[in-house]
Amino acid sequence: MLSSIEKVVFVIVALIALGVSFHGFWMIVFTVRQGRPAPELKNIPGSLLRAAWRVLLQQTIFRARPALSAVHLALFFGLITYAFVNLFDVLEGFVAGFDLTYGGRHMTAIFLPSGVVNAFNLISDLMSGALLVAIVVFLVRRFGVRDRRLQFREQVLLHPKVRAGAQHTDSLIVGVFVIMHVTAHLLTQAFRLTEGPDPFMPLASLLNAWLGPSEVGMHVAWWVSLGWVLFILAYIPPSKHTHFFLAPINLGLAKQTPRGQLDPAIPLKVIQGQTFEPGAKHIYDLAWTRLLDAYACVQCNRCQDVCPAHAYGRPLSPAALEVNKRYLLKDATFGGRLQVLQQPLTETAISPEAVWSCTTCYACVRVCPVGNEPMADIVDIRRRLIVDGAPLDSGVQSALQSLATNGNWMGKSKRLRGRWAKEMDFPIKNALEEPVEYLWFVGDTASFDERVIPNTKMTARVFYQAGLDFGILYQHESNAGNDVRRVGEEGLFEQLVERNLQVFGQAQFQRIVTTDPHSLNTLKNEYPQFGGAFEVKHYTAVLVKLFEEGRLKVKKPLDHYKVTFHDPCYLGRYNGGFAAPRRLLNLLGVEFHEMPRNCENSFCCGAGGGQIWMSKVAPGERPAENRIREALSTLEKFPNGKKQLFIVTCPKDMIMYSDAVKTTGSEGRIEVRDLIQLVAEAIGIEEAQVVAIAA
Amino acid sequence: MNIVVVLKHIPSVADELPVRGNQVDFDSVDFVLNEWDEQSLEQAALIKEALGGTVTAIGVDVIGELDNLLHLALAKGADRAVKIAADDAGADSHRQAKWLSEAIRPMAPDLVLVGVQASNDIDGQLGPLLAAYLDLPYIGVVSSIEVQDGTALMNKEFAGGFGARYSVRLPFVAGVQVAPKPPRYAPVSKIRQIAQTAKIEVLEPSGEADSGLVFRKVAPPVVSGHAEMIEGSPKEIAARLVALLKERGLA
Repeated sequence: MLSSIEKVVFVIVALIALGVSFHGFWMIVFTVRQGRPAPELKNIPGSLLRAAWRVLLQQTIFRARPALSAVHLALFFGLITYAFVNLFDVLEGFVAGFDLTYGGRHMTAIFLPSGVVNAFNLISDLMSGALLVAIVVFLVRRFGVRDRRLQFREQVLLHPKVRAGAQHTDSLIVGVFVIMHVTAHLLTQAFRLTEGPDPFMPLASLLNAWLGPSEVGMHVAWWVSLGWVLFILAYIPPSKHTHFFLAPINLGLAKQTPRGQLDPAIPLKVIQGQTFEPGAKHIYDLAWTRLLDAYACVQCNRCQDVCPAHAYGRPLSPAALEVNKRYLLKDATFGGRLQVLQQPLTETAISPEAVWSCTTCYACVRVCPVGNEPMADIVDIRRRLIVDGAPLDSGVQSALQSLATNGNWMGKSKRLRGRWAKEMDFPIKNALEEPVEYLWFVGDTASFDERVIPNTKMTARVFYQAGLDFGILYQHESNAGNDVRRVGEEGLFEQLVERNLQVFGQAQFQRIVTTDPHSLNTLKNEYPQFGGAFEVKHYTAVLVKLFEEGRLKVKKPLDHYKVTFHDPCYLGRYNGGFAAPRRLLNLLGVEFHEMPRNCENSFCCGAGGGQIWMSKVAPGERPAENRIREALSTLEKFPNGKKQLFIVTCPKDMIMYSDAVKTTGSEGRIEVRDLIQLVAEAIGIEEAQVVAIAA
Repeated sequence: MNIVVVLKHIPSVADELPVRGNQVDFDSVDFVLNEWDEQSLEQAALIKEALGGTVTAIGVDVIGELDNLLHLALAKGADRAVKIAADDAGADSHRQAKWLSEAIRPMAPDLVLVGVQASNDIDGQLGPLLAAYLDLPYIGVVSSIEVQDGTALMNKEFAGGFGARYSVRLPFVAGVQVAPKPPRYAPVSKIRQIAQTAKIEVLEPSGEADSGLVFRKVAPPVVSGHAEMIEGSPKEIAARLVALLKERGLA
């Protein structure tokens, strides 16, 4: 089809475009390699293949925004189809006698069965339509209805180019590309139809009926269609649309360690001669896999949607962090502005206030379709701020100081840790003095907080009644360090781990049980790295077992309660403990209703990652208040006069939500109870109802 | 600038103080850094940052665990750590002041900072006694010390909400009430690193002094009497208050 001159021109332009594109990607590889060593990735080909499969199924994207995800699916398969479409367009241009119209009837160059050709023609024709619809939906969403989810709040730190709308320009360019490219391709095919409509090319035939065949038109449309492809190839590396190629790769190189295990503050594998400060001050202090995150991100802001700090009105947007990283790297790679890399991340990527508002709930990482870990970056930034002696919230500072001296964050004496146990009317074993099956790791809140101690005692009573062989460490237990690590105090975390492991070594037990999901998380996922691998169970799982073995029996079903259940981040999203609490609720016979945000998509109470220590309370609707309103609207859809309960399985939740019930003025409408209170009531422990938190 | 900061290791008030005989049972109580000493340490670090010089942290090691505090002081900016190995948990301010003065005199300090008081004796005497032994002036209840050309400017607090600004020529002893900034946080990794490498100078207590006071009996305060909670509408509460005040002859 093409003349010899056209062919020469195309080859030259194509070589230039591919050269520019290749150089761009090579620069990205070079930039990403500047990052720190990442935790070792195992079986990379295998995980890349798995990622490819998940991308093909569009699995990860359907975790949120189902309607828009369907549009993305159309766009994705449209562009995949177009990879072949473009290949065949080039063949049609370059190979005389290569003609796919009419089932390849006029094909003289390469023989393809007409069934295959017709199928391909139909798919590509329909996909052209799908692509046009999808891109128009996306453009209307961004520029027409201006979906607020694509925007950032005023107080969020943004790279000046992002603030000026560079992302939108990127989107517009790609939007125009898709429309022009697809339309031009359809026109090429339409002008090619010299013998009337082809039933396997309905859209092209429609255009053909209107415009008729045209040799000149065909050449012009071909050049527009393929010219755009060459332009876009060269344009992609510095744009946010590296997403097309790097998202699947990033997904394949995503975190392989358990969700509940933070990367070390200093890379474990250090190339000889290299020394590292803990955590991250500059962008190249981040692991290379987390630099790649920024290139995989297409800036959809799903992480911002699910972020409790963002919902609370704090200046944190995990999306903005990734976007800022992207623009910083772009400044360095394509803008030659290397000096921006010498500025601290807290000035260029995320404000200190945003760094300190993260609850480490993992919702952002969980929801990200491309496997990004903005939360891990935040923890790394905190680590360096602590080491560098940056100003700390006074509440966090006194919590840390108390943890260092007393082993608990409440400023209480070690000796008071086991006081609740001494007040029971049955003896509680000291696991350091006699062997026990279950070592109960009680945790700070359950040991010291007057509001939670009644539940701790109730748990002990239920365990005792079931004949569970358990003991505690009394004053020898120290805070497990989960939140200490997440607030960035790695040294103190290590010290706490050492103290606990030393005590564990002196005790005789088979497994650990805890009511505290935060302790559970670090004991289970992080202690093994320090030489302490134990079986760690949440009390809800132990209770299920006790019921199944008949050691606990429901004496009076609790059908007078209508309840909803809050998944604690560190039990649910981090450790998959969704089933046990629900199984218990089912066994107890309560009327149970699920909140819209449940299980993996549960909404953080706002206490994690050290937030509970903060002395300053920001204005706005706190996450716990937001959650109580969600619970009320869930339960009040079923008016039946039953008592409405908000069930928790985490000591911190007891405090956060009891407080939120009061601050939202919801007393009398809903009551917060620990699951153990329901269990105790159902198995016939008398004082079970009495221990609700006193107002 | 040659600054000496005195650290006092005292029983923690987070504990309920156990009593044995006529003294606190020092074996079953945690010892912590006196909270006012955190302020004087921060003040010393700030002066050093502004003017240069050295900060020496010194304390009487009353239970053999002062090293932890000295490591903390080094992590927060002290350059030198000295302990007086006394092993005398009940050593009062008089005895400690004597020992400290003997140790500090050869250091020829420009400035000696102590916490204005400590929550064990609560007599605020360590500073004045130390100054007397060293034959230096003393000024207490001060905040925001700034040093310029051999003179220090500072605020001093008086009862009744009054304050004054003082200018004192170096050297002298100051009892610090509060530093201009909240005490900094020392990351544990840094403290641990220092603990492995730091050299702590050990001195023997020298000199004798005594307050002359003898404990006759130590006991927790006896709870007596109860608060009466007045309930009712604001009017009723006000009427009851007036009646009570009249009844007791206060109005």
